[in-house]
Amino acid sequence: MFTAAGFQKTWGYIDLFKQGLVCTISLSALTVIFGFILALILAIMRLSDIRPFRSFGIDADGHEIDEGPKAVLSRFNPISFIATVYVEVFRATPMLVQLFIIYYVVFGNVSLPTFKLFGFIRFERFLPGVVALAMNSGAYLSEIIRAGIQSIDGGQTEAARSLGLSQAQNMRYIILPQAIKNILPPIANEFVTIIKESSICYTIGVQEIMYAVSSTKGATYRIAEPLIIATVVYFCLTFPTSKIIAYFERRMSRGDKR
Amino acid sequence: METRDDVLISVKDLKKYYNKGVIKALDGITVDINKGDVMVVIGPSGSGKSTFLRSLNLMEHPTGGSIVFDGVDITSKKIKNAEGQWVKLNIDEHRQKMGMVFQHFNLFPHMTIMDNITLAPIKVKGVSKEDAEKKALELLNRVGLADRAGAYPIQLSGGQKQRVAIVRALAMEPQVMLFDEPTSALDPEMVGEVLDVMRELAREGMTMVVVTHEMGFAREVGNRVLFMADGKLLEEGTPEQIFGAPKNARLQDFLRKVL
Repeated sequence: MFTAAGFQKTWGYIDLFKQGLVCTISLSALTVIFGFILALILAIMRLSDIRPFRSFGIDADGHEIDEGPKAVLSRFNPISFIATVYVEVFRATPMLVQLFIIYYVVFGNVSLPTFKLFGFIRFERFLPGVVALAMNSGAYLSEIIRAGIQSIDGGQTEAARSLGLSQAQNMRYIILPQAIKNILPPIANEFVTIIKESSICYTIGVQEIMYAVSSTKGATYRIAEPLIIATVVYFCLTFPTSKIIAYFERRMSRGDKR
Repeated sequence: METRDDVLISVKDLKKYYNKGVIKALDGITVDINKGDVMVVIGPSGSGKSTFLRSLNLMEHPTGGSIVFDGVDITSKKIKNAEGQWVKLNIDEHRQKMGMVFQHFNLFPHMTIMDNITLAPIKVKGVSKEDAEKKALELLNRVGLADRAGAYPIQLSGGQKQRVAIVRALAMEPQVMLFDEPTSALDPEMVGEVLDVMRELAREGMTMVVVTHEMGFAREVGNRVLFMADGKLLEEGTPEQIFGAPKNARLQDFLRKVL
């Protein structure tokens, strides 16, 4: 299965793994950044209070109607609806399907510039990979952000609103400063998840760590040894990261006891 | 809708239904709250007294009825302005004139006591930071907590937190103060310090609506007592009438249990 000679042969291609490591890290980092921006937009959309048919739910005296189709229509929020559909679709379908649709269908007819990042990463494959990963993790991250916001005790909002603060002021001064503590650790954990999930981009030819395994296999006819090296590289990447996150998580929650 | 000059809040046939009317938390409450009133609302748990109080500043949106506060029906989504045009009612404008104190204090844990108090005056009323802090210190001084201005809520006892919460509401210079069981979450030895502050407020002429289980406070400080059960207002009167000569059978039963 494993032979010393096999490892020796594989070691000759170690530069491919180094490149793979650089590619995996840049892929994951960009995914988290764009995923977070997308998630923030989605979370705000889902928590928004935009109701274009609001006037249907108000009777002649200016009072709100509580029941019936008019009341349902008046509560309809298309912005929130679109965000919800997006999140549910991306969470309910396989990552691989999403990746292939984005690479082959969405970017299928787009001719992207064919330069190389860091001298080796093919941009025309890297970009669709980032887009697919970011769109997928954006759906998950938006749920984290939404949960973080909703985890703040309702009494906080009541106190703020009773003082005359608007919904936006309440968000800005009361809810978000408290929610960010709950939101940051899961986002950091999502980074670890993305490092692992980014391996799927090997299927569209992004030169990350699994791509190095495949290339080495083709050149040496060895599979076990390249896989062992990939495992070690992934572990060395994710294990310390999650430990560092756990440390900061503990520190942040220390000042939290109310 | 006409209101007498001394009526501050006029509540008419206020209803709050859940499950399409299966549960009637409020079942037609009609009462006028006059300027300077200290109105104490008592009743068994589940009687709707907290829902009633929380409806007054629309923390709960009533299903029916109206609340005319300072001449404006705040249950309307739209109101007629001075030129007779329909404009959207901005509830925030009216809420700042009604202070609210909660059972669980609801201080903002990420802010100092000073910031808790000055946030709304600065951000909502546009008061300068210096003026807001000067006013906050004055108020803190009155409740004996001026030395805790830089502390965080977590560093305060329950009684201190509630006194800060009262100051936070007072800093907006409200026309009425709403108290939702302000002493129910406190250890017994801290109830007195909060009631003292409320007693002082009442003496100064502040209009107050107080939901409480403190019958001693109701009797001593209140000028009107409301008894609620099952979402209905069953009896209203002076403390002497309510505690001395209760007429309603439910009230007699309630008083037998709590006194």
